[in-house]
Amino acid sequence: MTLTDTRSSSDTPPAAAGSPSPTALERVIGTGEHEAIGRTFIMGSLLLMAVSAAALAAGALRSLSDGGPLDVTDNLWNSALVGMVLMGAIPLLLGLAICLIPLQVGSKAIAFPRAAALSLWTWLVSAVIFAISLGLDGGVGGADLEASRLGMLSMGSMMVALSLGAVCVATTVLSHRPVGMSLARVPFFSWSMLVAAPIWILTFGSTTAHVFLGQISQANAAGLALRYEAGVAWFLRAPSVYMLAIPVLGISCDLVAQGCGRRIARYGTVQALIAMFGVFSFGAWTQTSGGRENILWIAFVALAAVPVLGLLGLIADTLRHQKPAVSPGLIGVLLAFLLLLGGMLAGVLEALNTSGSGTLFSFEAVGLGWAQSLFLLSAAFIGGLAALSAWSRVVLRASAPGAIASAAIAAGLIGGGLLATVFLIQGLTGFGLNLSFYNVWVAVAAAVLALSALLGLMLTLVTSRGHARQPVTAGAAGLTLEWAQAELSPEDQALVMRTIVASPYPLLDFRFTGEAVEEDK
Amino acid sequence: MSDTATLSPPEVDSPPESPQAAVAPTPALPPTMPRRRELIFGTVFVTAGVAMALLTLIGSYLATRDAAGAAWLADNQIALTQPNMQMLTMVMSVVTMQWAVWSICRDDRYHTYLAIGVTMLLGIAFVNQSTFLFKEAGIAITQPEGPLFYAVTLGHLAMVIAGLVFLLLMAFRTLGGQYSSRQPDGIGAAAVFWYAGVALYAVIWFAVYIQK
Repeated sequence: MTLTDTRSSSDTPPAAAGSPSPTALERVIGTGEHEAIGRTFIMGSLLLMAVSAAALAAGALRSLSDGGPLDVTDNLWNSALVGMVLMGAIPLLLGLAICLIPLQVGSKAIAFPRAAALSLWTWLVSAVIFAISLGLDGGVGGADLEASRLGMLSMGSMMVALSLGAVCVATTVLSHRPVGMSLARVPFFSWSMLVAAPIWILTFGSTTAHVFLGQISQANAAGLALRYEAGVAWFLRAPSVYMLAIPVLGISCDLVAQGCGRRIARYGTVQALIAMFGVFSFGAWTQTSGGRENILWIAFVALAAVPVLGLLGLIADTLRHQKPAVSPGLIGVLLAFLLLLGGMLAGVLEALNTSGSGTLFSFEAVGLGWAQSLFLLSAAFIGGLAALSAWSRVVLRASAPGAIASAAIAAGLIGGGLLATVFLIQGLTGFGLNLSFYNVWVAVAAAVLALSALLGLMLTLVTSRGHARQPVTAGAAGLTLEWAQAELSPEDQALVMRTIVASPYPLLDFRFTGEAVEEDK
Repeated sequence: MSDTATLSPPEVDSPPESPQAAVAPTPALPPTMPRRRELIFGTVFVTAGVAMALLTLIGSYLATRDAAGAAWLADNQIALTQPNMQMLTMVMSVVTMQWAVWSICRDDRYHTYLAIGVTMLLGIAFVNQSTFLFKEAGIAITQPEGPLFYAVTLGHLAMVIAGLVFLLLMAFRTLGGQYSSRQPDGIGAAAVFWYAGVALYAVIWFAVYIQK
C-alpha cells in the first residue's frame, strides 16, 4: 500500500527525561507546525489590519482638522493602504492557506515547514518595523529620510516573506497530494492558492527590485517617494490588485459546495475560470504609464470580469439546485463576491474612460484606481473573515460564535464598501464631493473597517481559547479532506486516508458509499 | 501517483486484539524519504521570483539608459573580452551541471562529485571575473549610472553566489547518501536555479554589455 503522509520535518523526538520542556513562548516561536504558523499569521494580520485602518482614519481626521482634502499622495494614506494589503488582507489569506491547505490535500505537514515559520516571523517583524516607521513620518513617501528608508525596507521584507509563504503553500499543493488526487481534483481553495502563489511571487519579485533600487540609489525622501509611486504603487492598481481576490474565488466555491452539501458542477470549468482570472491579474508589465494606456491594458482589465461573472453563474446554478444551509461564512463570501464585482465595475469604467484619445467620460482615473484597490482589498478581507468563520472547526478547533462572525463580516462590508464607494463617487464626479463630507466619510468607514478587524481578532481568540476541541459532530457535512479530523472517528479517518481519492470530494464519497471507494492494494 | 509516493508508517495503528499484542514491541519506523519533486517545485517558485526581480532591474536599466542617450557610461570603458569570457564560462557550467544531474540519475556518484566540483569551479571563476570587470570598468556608485549598473550586475552576482552555496549544500548531502537515482531532487533543484542564473546572465550580457 502506498501512503503519502510524511512526518513533519519539524517534528522532534520526545524530550528526554530530566531535560527542561520548552515554554509556551518557545513552543510558539520554534514551531514548524503548519496550523500554529497559520493561526499566528491570522491573528497578526487581523491586529495589523486594525492598526492600518486606524491610521487611515487618523489621516482623514487630520485632514478634517487642517481643512484640506485627504490627499491620495499623502504618506499616511499610501502607507495605510500598503499596510491593509501587506499587513492585513494577504497575510490573512496566506495564514488560512498555511493552516488549511495541507489538510485539504491530506498531508500532515506543509512543504518546507521551517521556511513557512521564517516567512511568518520575517513578516511579523517587518510589519512592526513598518508601523513604527510610519509613526516616525516614514512609511512609504514620508518626509523623514531615515524613517522612509526603514519603511521601504520593511515593506520589501514583507513582500519577500509573503512570497516565501506562498512558495510553501504552492509546493504543498503540487507535491503533497494523496494518491488519486490529481490537480483536477484538488479543492478549490487549494487550486486558487496554486494560481495565486506564482502571481504573488512574480509581482512581489518585481516590486522588491524597486525597493532594492531605492535603497542603493541613496535617494532623498522625495526620491524614495517617487520610487514608490513609479516602481511599487502599480501593484495596488488594476490589473495587479486583482491578485488579492484570487483565493476568494476558491473560498467561495468551496463554501458554496459545503453550504449546499453537493458537488459544484463543471469542476474543470471552475478551475479554468479561476486560472483565467489569475492570468488577467498579472500586471507587472503595467509599471510604466505607457503600459497602462494601451489596448492591452484595457483588454486585461475588462476581460478579468469574464471569469468572475462565469463563476458567479456557476455558483448561482449550484444555489438554485440546492438550498444552502445559511451561515455567516456563506453570507460573507457572497458579500465578498459583491465587493469583487464592485472592483470589476470600477476597473471596466476606467478602461472605458481611457478608450480612444483623451478620456471618454471625463472620469477621474485616480479616484477609480483607488476604488478598485479598496473594493478588492475589502473583498479579500471579508473573504478571509468568511473563510475563518466557516472553517473555524478546522482552523481554530472549535465552532466560531455566529454573532461575532456576523458582526465582523457586516462591519467589514460596511467599512470596506463605504471606503471604496466614496472613491468610486470621487472618480465618477472628478473629486466633486464636499471636502468635509469626504473626510468624515473616509474617517468613519476606515474606523468601521478597523472595528471589523478587531472583531475578527476577537472571534479568533474567543473561539480558540474558549473551546476545547469539540467532539465529532453527527450529521456534519464536510466534503473535503480537511474536515476528516473534525468530523470522522479515528477509524474512519484512517480508512479515508488510505483510500485512493476518486473525486474532488473524498468525504462526500465516503459518506455516500459508507466505505472506502477504492482501496489501494 | 509516483511523484507523491513516500515511505512512511501508517498514521493510525489498529487496536491491539490481545494483551500479548498490546505489549509486543513496536517495530522500528522505516526512514521517511522526502517527497518527490518537493524541492524542485520550491526551487522553481523561488527562482521565478528572483528572475522577476532581476528582469525588473534590467528593464529599469534599459529604460534609464534609453532616456539618458549618448551620455550613458560616456566616461567609462567596458571592454567586451571580460563579459564574453564570463558568458563562455557560464555556458560551460551548464554542460557540467547537466553532467551532474545525468550522473546522479544513474547512481554514478564519482562523476556526480566531479561534475559538481567543476561546476563550482566555473562559478567561482565567474565571480572572480566579475570582480575584475568591476575594477576595470571603474564605475562609481555615485555617478548616475552607478546604482542601476550595480543593482543589475551585483544582483546577478548574488544569485550566482547563492547558486554556489546551494550546490555546495547539495554536494554535501549527496556525499551523505541522501541523493541517488531514486531521489535525485536536490541536484535537479540546484540545476534549475543554476540554469536560470545562466539564462539571466545571457540577458545581462546582451542588454548591458553588448548593447552598452
